[in-house]
Amino acid sequence: MSGLVSVEGVSRRFPMDHREVRALDDANLRIEAGEFLAIAGPSGSGKSTLLNLMGCIDKPTTGRIVLDGEDTSALNAARLSTLRREKIGFVFQTFNLIPVFTAQENVEFPLLLQGLTPRERRERASAALDSVGLGLRAQQRPDLLSGGERQRVAVARAIVHRPVLVLADEPTANLDTHNATQLIDLMRELNESLGVTFVFSTHDQRLLEHTPRIVRLCDGQVAEDLRLAEVVHG
Amino acid sequence: MAKFLLLAFRDIFRNRRRTLMTLLMVGGGVTGLLMAGGYFAFMTQGLREDTIRNGLGHLQIFTSEHFRRDEVRVLDTGIENWRQVADSVRTAPHVRGVAPRIEFYGMVSNGQKSSVFMGSAVDPDAERSLGFTANLTSGRDLSSKPGSEVEALIGAGLAKSMNVKVGDGLTLLAVTADGALNGVDVQIAGIIQTGFAEMDARYLRITLPSAQRLLQSDRITNLVVGLDKTDYTDAVYNQLIPRLGRLPQAMTVKKWIDLAGYYKQVRNLFNGIFLFMGAIVFFMVLMSSVNTLLMALFERTREIGTMLAMGTPRAWIILLLMAEATLLGVVGAGGGLVVGNLLGSLLNASGLQLPPPPGYTVGIPFRVLHVPWIMAGSSILVIFSLALASIMPAVRASRLRIVEALAHV
Repeated sequence: MSGLVSVEGVSRRFPMDHREVRALDDANLRIEAGEFLAIAGPSGSGKSTLLNLMGCIDKPTTGRIVLDGEDTSALNAARLSTLRREKIGFVFQTFNLIPVFTAQENVEFPLLLQGLTPRERRERASAALDSVGLGLRAQQRPDLLSGGERQRVAVARAIVHRPVLVLADEPTANLDTHNATQLIDLMRELNESLGVTFVFSTHDQRLLEHTPRIVRLCDGQVAEDLRLAEVVHG
Repeated sequence: MAKFLLLAFRDIFRNRRRTLMTLLMVGGGVTGLLMAGGYFAFMTQGLREDTIRNGLGHLQIFTSEHFRRDEVRVLDTGIENWRQVADSVRTAPHVRGVAPRIEFYGMVSNGQKSSVFMGSAVDPDAERSLGFTANLTSGRDLSSKPGSEVEALIGAGLAKSMNVKVGDGLTLLAVTADGALNGVDVQIAGIIQTGFAEMDARYLRITLPSAQRLLQSDRITNLVVGLDKTDYTDAVYNQLIPRLGRLPQAMTVKKWIDLAGYYKQVRNLFNGIFLFMGAIVFFMVLMSSVNTLLMALFERTREIGTMLAMGTPRAWIILLLMAEATLLGVVGAGGGLVVGNLLGSLLNASGLQLPPPPGYTVGIPFRVLHVPWIMAGSSILVIFSLALASIMPAVRASRLRIVEALAHV
């Protein structure tokens, strides 16, 4: 198997109250570069666990995940950190912006980690904010932005360093329906315009209507992998 | 890195109440150290200058045999051609004056009662030229006028125990250079306080001619050298050594610090107290800061998890939290310096007076000196305390499990 992300026989078990909980059980999945993919399923089905494993912030108990040709289970913590810094963008359910930074500074943060010059950081962060429609709100701190705006800043932060993969764990959970739909549409637009792969998790069926590929999880296993006729990329 | 420092700087003002509490503690520590250190510096500096002005001088010249002498026949090892020695010293730069002295012991009697005394024979004009003035409680100072050589100043405690007053006569008895017992009659010109009760109970001062007549010798025990400034002591000392080496009689020069045993004891005591205070401030800042920084870490667990998820190196997290603590220390120390110096200036302007400490007969003014090394030392101490306090929370933050940190509520 190849592709951008390859999940091969991955299981993740957690000890809990003297017993073992299987959050993922022999999951297999392959994601091609440029895909726009939703991981769906009820609470506790293993969506977040799968995203955490693909995002290299957790390690599988068994199996392996290959990201952009690298077997992540064989990498040490420092190399995984570099991999995340260079190839992955994250969008979190609770936005997770740095509250003392402005929107612009938050978006610059991944570039700061990559050692770009202040000028390069400013230019690329401004472009990213423009691409999510927040160019005029760049100097606002997160507490002065609405929930929808904060999540768009988070999306700008996730794409600014040009990763190959953006992982969004329940990005619409704290948004109303209108903002949630707008955010999914925005991510879809960026997916198409930038060619970056987006994987997001949700349990909201309405958001899946225009998603070209939906992977349904149930009890830690891939129960369904639906591809709509018009898969745009690949 | 500038952006990272900016983040650290903004972070310290995130929880303003907690930051304020930490700043108050850090600033309070610096202020306390400045006040205590400034006061101790004033006390030691005052004691130093008092010790010098009360007659010790900046340098004293003795014969090389002086410190091996017989305590009874003090002039056996005295300076012979002392005027020649004094002239040689007087021409050195920064020398304000030279005063001859005879330090001796004897018995004093008023006809009814006798007591031991510690005598000091002086040239009144030379003493005055060096600013060595007697602290008189009654009467007047010694004079060099003809006929004044029979006068004496007597310590307040000795006067009380002998039941004498200004104008009364006393007989002084001492062993001459030849080993015979000799006596002179003197009249009390004034009663003095040295500042030390024990000294006042034994002290007696007469003119040099009286002492030379009593001890039957032209010699003196020592020459006291006064300088323009105490800071010149070492430089003048180094100049005098070769000059005196050319004289026929072997001489020894002592710096004031070598002769000021009491001053050294007080200075060591103050240094000890100050170090102890510094240690208390260090541990106070350290312990409370660890607690505060752990609380801050707890509140920011998800944020740190987010940074780690985005690929922030763990070393950067450690540096960020240490930079925050250090900046907090810098701000707190800066505040402490401002407050401490202002408070010190206010107290100095108020003219506050403290009661006399044990062993003293006069009160002490309360002054706080602005000493650069105390300011720098106090600031470095608290900044270092905070940086040290941040290590454990910072390392703990860098080791957070990302998934758990992101799920932290």
